[in-house]
Amino acid sequence: MSDSMTWLEFLSQAKGFLAISSKLNDSWQLIEKDKHEPNTFLKYAQKVKYKDELINVEYHIVYSISYQVPMLYLQAHRSDGGLLDIEATWNLFMPEMPRSDLYQMLTQMEHPVLFRPFMTLHPCRTCEILSQFGKQSTNLILTFISIYGPYVKLELSNSYGLINEENEKYEMKM
Amino acid sequence: LDCHLFSHCLFIFCTVWACLCITAQQISKAMSDIKILQFAPFESFVSPTFWHKLAELKLDYDRLSDTKRSIYGYYTNRKASGCLLEVDYSAYNSEAQTPKFSHAANGSIYNKNTIEEFKALDKTSLLADEGKQLLDDMRNGRALNDASLLTRFFVLSFADLKCHSYYYWFAFPCPLTPALELLTSPTKLKEMPNSGTYVEAICVLPAHAQNFFILHVNEQAKVCEALSLSDALGKFDEQQAQHYIYCFADPSEYENPAWLMRNYVALLFQKCPTLIGKSLKFLGLRYDQQMQLDNSLMWQVRQSEACNYEQVQFVGWEANRNGKMGPRMANMRDSMDPAKLAENSINLNLKLMKWRLVPDLNLDILANTKCLLFGAGTLGCAVARNLLSWGFKHITLMDSGKVGYSNPVRQSLYTHSDAVAGNCMKATTAAARLLEINPSAVTKGYVLEIPMPGHTVGEALRAQTEQHLQRIEEEVLAHDVIFLLTDSRESRWLPTLLGAANQKIVMNAALGFDSYLVMRHGSTRQLIGDCNRNVEGLKCISGQQLGCYFCNDVTAPGNSLKDRTLDQQCTVTRPGVSNIAASYAVELLVALLQHPQRELAPAYYANTRQQTEVQQPEGLLGILPHSIRGMLCNYENILPATQKFAQCIACSERVLAAYRSEGHEFLFKTFETAKYLEDLTGISEFKRLNSEIIDFDDNEFDMSDNEDDDDN
Repeated sequence: MSDSMTWLEFLSQAKGFLAISSKLNDSWQLIEKDKHEPNTFLKYAQKVKYKDELINVEYHIVYSISYQVPMLYLQAHRSDGGLLDIEATWNLFMPEMPRSDLYQMLTQMEHPVLFRPFMTLHPCRTCEILSQFGKQSTNLILTFISIYGPYVKLELSNSYGLINEENEKYEMKM
Repeated sequence: LDCHLFSHCLFIFCTVWACLCITAQQISKAMSDIKILQFAPFESFVSPTFWHKLAELKLDYDRLSDTKRSIYGYYTNRKASGCLLEVDYSAYNSEAQTPKFSHAANGSIYNKNTIEEFKALDKTSLLADEGKQLLDDMRNGRALNDASLLTRFFVLSFADLKCHSYYYWFAFPCPLTPALELLTSPTKLKEMPNSGTYVEAICVLPAHAQNFFILHVNEQAKVCEALSLSDALGKFDEQQAQHYIYCFADPSEYENPAWLMRNYVALLFQKCPTLIGKSLKFLGLRYDQQMQLDNSLMWQVRQSEACNYEQVQFVGWEANRNGKMGPRMANMRDSMDPAKLAENSINLNLKLMKWRLVPDLNLDILANTKCLLFGAGTLGCAVARNLLSWGFKHITLMDSGKVGYSNPVRQSLYTHSDAVAGNCMKATTAAARLLEINPSAVTKGYVLEIPMPGHTVGEALRAQTEQHLQRIEEEVLAHDVIFLLTDSRESRWLPTLLGAANQKIVMNAALGFDSYLVMRHGSTRQLIGDCNRNVEGLKCISGQQLGCYFCNDVTAPGNSLKDRTLDQQCTVTRPGVSNIAASYAVELLVALLQHPQRELAPAYYANTRQQTEVQQPEGLLGILPHSIRGMLCNYENILPATQKFAQCIACSERVLAAYRSEGHEFLFKTFETAKYLEDLTGISEFKRLNSEIIDFDDNEFDMSDNEDDDDN
């Protein structure tokens, strides 16, 4: 069983995910940059408190053509607009993890849609991890965010899973 | 930013704040159990895109104009953190474009042209001007029709576009009205008996109308409806107002309502002065993640005194990060300066190597090592580019040539147009190109001739040669590594000598038609202790005992350009040879710099051919050969190591001593005739005795002469 996905699968699942988010009054957005595919990504932003300072973290779920999986890109900035570098970003999320592990996982790469350097969780094992994840989910993006998100303080409420299950049941009846 | 900058205005703010405090204190002294409602001040929160857009507008549209610009901000009352007012790139749009679950705030930006204007601007009168406009909007009814005008802010800024620094100061203007007495402690909406009907009425309103509105709740009349400000206050009904709850989207996460409620209160008392002295209910709407209003808070307050709006003062400048009244500075170099972006990305690539593959790699050593390249031809260009790839930052090139038509295809730092221009000197052009490739590099290019033994300097050129000589000597001293990448054997003599005399690392690359030689010269640095590891089956030569390019020869360099056909002189090499040699030269240098003994690291070679299987001791990046000789015809490298030659015409003690004692005078004697060197070192004697040794290396690799003659 392969859990890689095509661009069109990504697109339709991103839209499916967005529908759940809207239903739950959550603030995910689907951003379409231009007409050059892959041009679309899911975006979410939140404030995270770090040592009495508020940090804005923007998360993008982007399609990786090379790995054929979703990728989680993120960028964090302070209240004056200054970006957090990779070390500071790491401290924000996982201060207790050893450095060597950090660079196996969190790295800086060019955003495939925006062409700007972003932090990203390395995609090299995403496919493997997604396929190990119990029963096959109908929305791999939901699965992907649920697995990777918690590493970077991106926690989806349980309702996402429940709504998705309802959808699945509904689809099965059809 | 220097916090003294604004000390002169600070005084004024302190007095204003003091007034506020005194009023509060006096009241509380008079009636000890009276509580005063306090507000959570706005905290500005700026997206990097706000600065990106400001820079773009300043450069492309505003230029020298510094008139104020209308901008929009936004705030959210869903899952609020702190009490934020945010701005991003959309701030400059002609219409407010607020993210989901957010409300618009009205503002303006005063972007000054100089830091002096930014500092000198009268902050008190600016705040007063903005405050008066706010009062006008309240008075003439604009704020009733567009309640977002109550959430007011402005930014005073100076964009230092060269340094990517943004100095800024936010203010949230608000009239200093009499204090509000808090009549009961704040109540959560979910604890109120009729909260369900409230929520129903609120939800009828579209999201954008929920910033400020009035809830009319009359239980006897069974009325619970949401009214817009213009409907409720435009034709104010005092009777009905007894049943009003003044609602607003509250971006505060604290127990205190957000700052914007102050302007709301001011609007009410200004429109409906009869409310003074009455108990009023304010409901700050706070959504949670699930869009429930349970945590919304109700404050019951009373303002006893009327306010004289004609003489009112204004407050609202934001305190900076130290809690002081003063501006802030955002350094956006990391995300906006293309040079910094490039530098970070280059470093990241190298760091990944360190983090993932070679944890002990010391990148700082490379970044701080200064390299001087003699020759900016095929080898010079390729070496320079490889140095950049490794994160070397200091690169100086010396060459006397111009870019010619045949050069660009092989010499990777030049283009056809350089050749067409006709006057592009290689050294300076290459230095400029390196900067184009990596703007954070420190590069220099010197157009000069390297004086050579046996190339007589005429009287007319004496002064110029003297000058060049001095420059070369200075630059050798100022650098750590010297690369010999010229196209003749004799032009390598002076740099070899200077490198040895000044204890520099000397790397040498030379090309034949399909062969190359890359070597590190033996060091003249003192070896401290004997750190050489002897390995059975291998011969070990310490770094100090290794030979230089000239150690294997027993002729002084003469004029090798003489009596050669064109194909022997230059340019006739297989194109890949120079890239291979340049890459080896840089990789060997990097390996050397990462070795604890650096250039004193010993070289090993097998005693006999049968024992090549013996493992050589390795540094961080593998073994450290003395030289790499390779051939393209069979794709083979061999790694010979040779001893220093006591009578070497370039690095022997006798030559170094003569240079140290006689200096330029000695050098000019060698330029006059190469024979002088042969006599000085005694190799002319040696040559007569036995000349067989000369051919020793050449038997295996016939490249002793050809290797010099390339198109570097």
